[in-house]
Amino acid sequence: MVSVQDIEIRDAKPEDINYIVELVIRLKRLNEEFDPLFKTRDDIAIHTKKYIESALGSDDSVILVAERKGKVIGVVKADIVDRIFYEPRIEGRIKELYVLPEFRRKELGKRLVEAVIERLKNKVDMITAEFPTLNEIAVRFYNTLGFRCIMSNYAIEARE
Amino acid sequence: MTSLEEKASRPAILAMKYHPFYKGKIQIALKCPVTSYDDFAIWYTPGVAEPCKAIQKNVDLVFEYTNRANTVAIITDGTRILGLGDIGPEAGLPVMEGKALLFKYLGGIDAFPIALATKDAEKIIEIVKALEPSFGGINLEDIEKPKCFYILERLRQEMRIPVWHDDQQGTATVTVAAFINAVKYVGKRISDVIVTLIGAGAANIAIARLLIAYGVPPGNLRLVDSKGVLHAERDDIDKLQFQDRWKYEMALKTNKDRVVGGIPEALKGADVCIAMSKPGPGVIKKEWVTAMADNSIVFACANPIPEIWPWEAKEAGAKIVATGRSDFPNQVNNSLGFPGIFRGALDVRAYTITDEMCLAAAVELARVAEEKGLSEEYILPTMEDWEVYPREATVVAMKAIEQGVARIKKSRDEVYEEAYRKIKAARDQTKLLMEKGFIPPPPE
Repeated sequence: MVSVQDIEIRDAKPEDINYIVELVIRLKRLNEEFDPLFKTRDDIAIHTKKYIESALGSDDSVILVAERKGKVIGVVKADIVDRIFYEPRIEGRIKELYVLPEFRRKELGKRLVEAVIERLKNKVDMITAEFPTLNEIAVRFYNTLGFRCIMSNYAIEARE
Repeated sequence: MTSLEEKASRPAILAMKYHPFYKGKIQIALKCPVTSYDDFAIWYTPGVAEPCKAIQKNVDLVFEYTNRANTVAIITDGTRILGLGDIGPEAGLPVMEGKALLFKYLGGIDAFPIALATKDAEKIIEIVKALEPSFGGINLEDIEKPKCFYILERLRQEMRIPVWHDDQQGTATVTVAAFINAVKYVGKRISDVIVTLIGAGAANIAIARLLIAYGVPPGNLRLVDSKGVLHAERDDIDKLQFQDRWKYEMALKTNKDRVVGGIPEALKGADVCIAMSKPGPGVIKKEWVTAMADNSIVFACANPIPEIWPWEAKEAGAKIVATGRSDFPNQVNNSLGFPGIFRGALDVRAYTITDEMCLAAAVELARVAEEKGLSEEYILPTMEDWEVYPREATVVAMKAIEQGVARIKKSRDEVYEEAYRKIKAARDQTKLLMEKGFIPPPPE
C-alpha cells in the first residue's frame, strides 16, 4: 500500500526535469481524449523539456513536485500573469497539474494546488486553472476546491 | 465436413427450421380459472376495482394481487447481440425470447422480451425506470460496454427492484463457482493463486470484482486487454479513466508484480487463466499454458470456438479446463445462474441483487458439484442437475434477508419449497402442453 506519509511536496529541482517532462507529456496525451485539436505533436518531448527548463529558470513560474522514495509522482506548474485590463491585477495561473494514476485518491492533487497557492500568496491576487472543457474530472476537482468558471475557450478548424 | 463440424452446425440448421414453425418460443398463459363468462366480473371489471383500490392504499400489495412478483423484463438495445455485435433491436429479439424460455423453464419466471429502438444510455435508463411498476426485476441483455456498466450502475442505484446484467453478474457468478471448485480440486489456496484474466470486457471486469469479494487479493489478478496487461502506469491509463472507468479501477489495484507485455507474459507463472476474449483457436498458445504454474487451470470461454482447444490446453499441462460449450466437459454456462438467482430474489421481493447474493449463489453452485464429487471433468453442475436452481434461490433469498434488501422474510425451508414447486410447475406445464399437442412436435 502507498502511504501518504511517504509523499513530500517540494520545489522542483533541475534534476527532476526528466520526471516532470514525462508527467506533463502524459497530461497532454490525456487531453487528446477531449478534442482532436489536442492531438499531441510528434516532437512533444523536445518542446516539453524546453518549456519546463525555461519555467524552472523563471521568476514568473512556479513548479512544485510530489516526491515519493526519490521518484516524482505528481507535478503542478503555475505562471504569474499581469492582467492589464482588470482588477485584481496579478493572477497565478495553474497550467499543469498531474498525478500518476496509482497515487490518486490520496488528495495529492489538492495538496499540490494548496501548496502552489501557498507559494504564490504574497505574489498574486487570484488563482486560476486551465484545462480542456470536457475534462469533467478536472471540473469537479476545481469546483470542490471552491474555484468557479470565469472564462471559456472556443475553437473551430480554420482549414479543411 | 467432419462429423464434429456437422454436429456443430446442426443447431443452426434446426433453428432456421423451427423458428418459423413455432413463431416464437413463449406465450401468455392463464393462472386463474375461467369456468364461465361470469368469472370475468371477478378478474376484470367490476370486481377487479377492489384489488386496485387496495393497492392504491398500500402499493406493496401489488406483489400479492398481481403476477408482478414473478416477472422480469428482458431489456436490450440490440448493440451486442451474442458475438454478432450491433445488429439492431429486432434482430436481437430471438435471443431475448430464448432468454425468456430459460427464465421460465429453469426458474419458473415469466420474463418479457423488450427490445428498444434507442441506443442512448440516458433514454434507456429513463425507459427502464418507467417500467418499474410492472415488473419484479430487470434483466439487461446484450448491451454493449462500457454503456452497460453505466446503465447497470445507475439503475441499481435508482430502482427498487433487482436490476441484473447477465454478461456481468451472471457470467461472473458461474465462473467464480467454477473457479472455487477448480482451485479446491488442484489443492491451492485462494489467497495465493495468481489469476490472469484475458479480455477486460463486461464479464471479466465483473469476474475480477467477484473474485476480489471472494478473497483473491486484487494484486494477484492480471487483466489483459487488446493493448496488453493492465497496470497503473500503462500509457493509456489516463484515457481509460474517461473511457472505461471500471477498467481503470481494476488497472490501479491489480497486477502487483507489474507484469508488462501481452498474454504470454501475463500467463507466465499464473495458476489460473480466465479467458473471456475473442474466438479461437490460437488466441492462447500451448506454450503459454505450459509456462503457467504447475496444476494450472484454464477457462477458455469464447464462443463458438474457445481461445484454445481443451485438448491442447491439457496437452500443454493444464489440469482443469473449462469452456463455454455444452459439448465439452465443464461448461461455464450462464443458465446455471440467473434462473435460480432471480427465483430467490423475486420470492423475497428483493430490492436489488447484491454482489454478496451473487457470491452466495456461486458458493452454493460450487457446493452442488462438490457433493456429487469433483473431478477434472466435473467442476460445475449441469442444467440437468436441476436441484441447483431451488438451492441457489434459497441461498440468494437468505442473503437478501440477511442484508436487509428483502421486502419479506421467509424461512430457508419455505424459500426452498416455494422455488422447487414453481420451477417444477414450469417444467410440468411444458410437458403437459407437449403431451396435449398445444406445443406440437417439431417439423421433420
